[in-house]
Amino acid sequence: MYCYNCGCHLSEHDFCTACGADVSVYKKILSVSNMYYNEGLEKAGVRDLSGAVNSLRQSLKFNKNNIEARNLLGLVYFELGETVAALSEWVISKNLRPEKNIADDYIERLQSNASRLASINQTIKKYNQALAYCYQDSRDLAVIQLKKVLSLNPRFVRAHQLLALLYMDGEQWERAERELRKCMDIDRNNTQTLRYLKEVERMLVPDESVRQGAKRKKEETVRYVSDNEMIIQPLNVKEPKNSGVSTLINLGLGLVIGIAAAYWLMVPAAQSKAKAEAQKTITEISSQSDAKTARIQELENEADRLAEQIAELSSEVEGFVGTGGTMQTFDSLLTTAADFVKNGDNAATAADLENIARTVNLEETSEGFQALYRTLLETIGPELSVTYYDEAYEYFRHEEYTAAIEGFTNAVYYDAANVDALYFLARSYHKNGDDGQAVETYQKLLELFPESNRVRDSRQYLRELGVTTE
Amino acid sequence: MINFEEELKKFHPSLEVEDAEDAIYNQDLTDMADLLVKMLKETEKEEEKKAKEV
Repeated sequence: MYCYNCGCHLSEHDFCTACGADVSVYKKILSVSNMYYNEGLEKAGVRDLSGAVNSLRQSLKFNKNNIEARNLLGLVYFELGETVAALSEWVISKNLRPEKNIADDYIERLQSNASRLASINQTIKKYNQALAYCYQDSRDLAVIQLKKVLSLNPRFVRAHQLLALLYMDGEQWERAERELRKCMDIDRNNTQTLRYLKEVERMLVPDESVRQGAKRKKEETVRYVSDNEMIIQPLNVKEPKNSGVSTLINLGLGLVIGIAAAYWLMVPAAQSKAKAEAQKTITEISSQSDAKTARIQELENEADRLAEQIAELSSEVEGFVGTGGTMQTFDSLLTTAADFVKNGDNAATAADLENIARTVNLEETSEGFQALYRTLLETIGPELSVTYYDEAYEYFRHEEYTAAIEGFTNAVYYDAANVDALYFLARSYHKNGDDGQAVETYQKLLELFPESNRVRDSRQYLRELGVTTE
Repeated sequence: MINFEEELKKFHPSLEVEDAEDAIYNQDLTDMADLLVKMLKETEKEEEKKAKEV
């Protein structure tokens, strides 16, 4: 507490120890302010917000510098939904005490959330609009607007009160009561709310005359009007006394209904669960079956492939072992060789070799087979060649050139060095009129045996045939 | 019985956030302590006047 005259700290005396000014009245004024502050604090504690507002305003009338009272007044305004009034009190408080002031926190919290501040402003604007609608007698619009306001700020007591007043004007007493109860939850001792509530309750309770008349009747009722409807509510209705049997019947019925409900609710669920499990099992078995089918198919394919391999190998074995097979050809050649060594029969050996040459392609046989075959052929070849030459020459002399050609061809086949056989083969072609073969054979002779005594004659015949040589 | 028209007159438009500044500036902050100080100063002045006249 400071002296109003010099600003010095005041002592317990009724005068300022610094300037000597009389501060007794001043001290009383400040103590009254503090008393109102305490009263306001108590009222705010029990949610008598209207009372708190009055007390705190009184406190500030005595001492405008009572910062605690002003901050609390701001809080109470804020709780009542009067945000701008709250903000005003806190701003003034901050001006009066710029430092170590809780109002600073309140202002910062409010201003830091821009969307909330905008929402508060919207609420106020809508409330003012609703009030304007009321003055214009557009009460339905006012109700709609106030509902919007309260959805944005459910603690706005004045909006609740105005809405309740509109409901009361429309004789919607229950709705009005609901709004007023909400007001009471926020501010328990608001005179206006209490007055409205009293009126609403008066309209909701039955008439005295109606109540007295009803006493005579067996069934008492409460009658009241709400939303243009007459509500008749029976009072003191008692259950019938013969309740023993009926209770048992009711219990039985309840039991039956319960069992039926359980059956209808639980059995389908159990069936559904069983079906789901069966379906799951079927799915698993099906997937296993599919896997096994795939495996079987794979094994069948493998079996087919192996069967094909077996068939191929069998045919190969047959090629080696069977009639006309490699093994038999080998046997024939060996038998021929053995017979030749044993008997020395060139003709029989030549016949056997020709048979072998007919049954097998010599180029596809093994090296050993070919070597043995050639050895036999070279051994018996010259003698056979002479034999064939002699026979063929006889045919040549008798001008049987076709037979002669066959004989000379064999003679050349068995002894490639038999130049006479080659010469007379060419002559036989020449005589037989086969000039092309004749020229080819003459040229072959000139090429293979250039030193032979048959060369001169061969050249001469070639010239006759129109072929020039060196 | 509540008279709607009369009750409606008790409701006043709420201050919007934009109007807060004006409301703060226009608020009468004079308190009892101010009045006391003013009274005491006026009394002092009158006493000084009387003293000069005497």
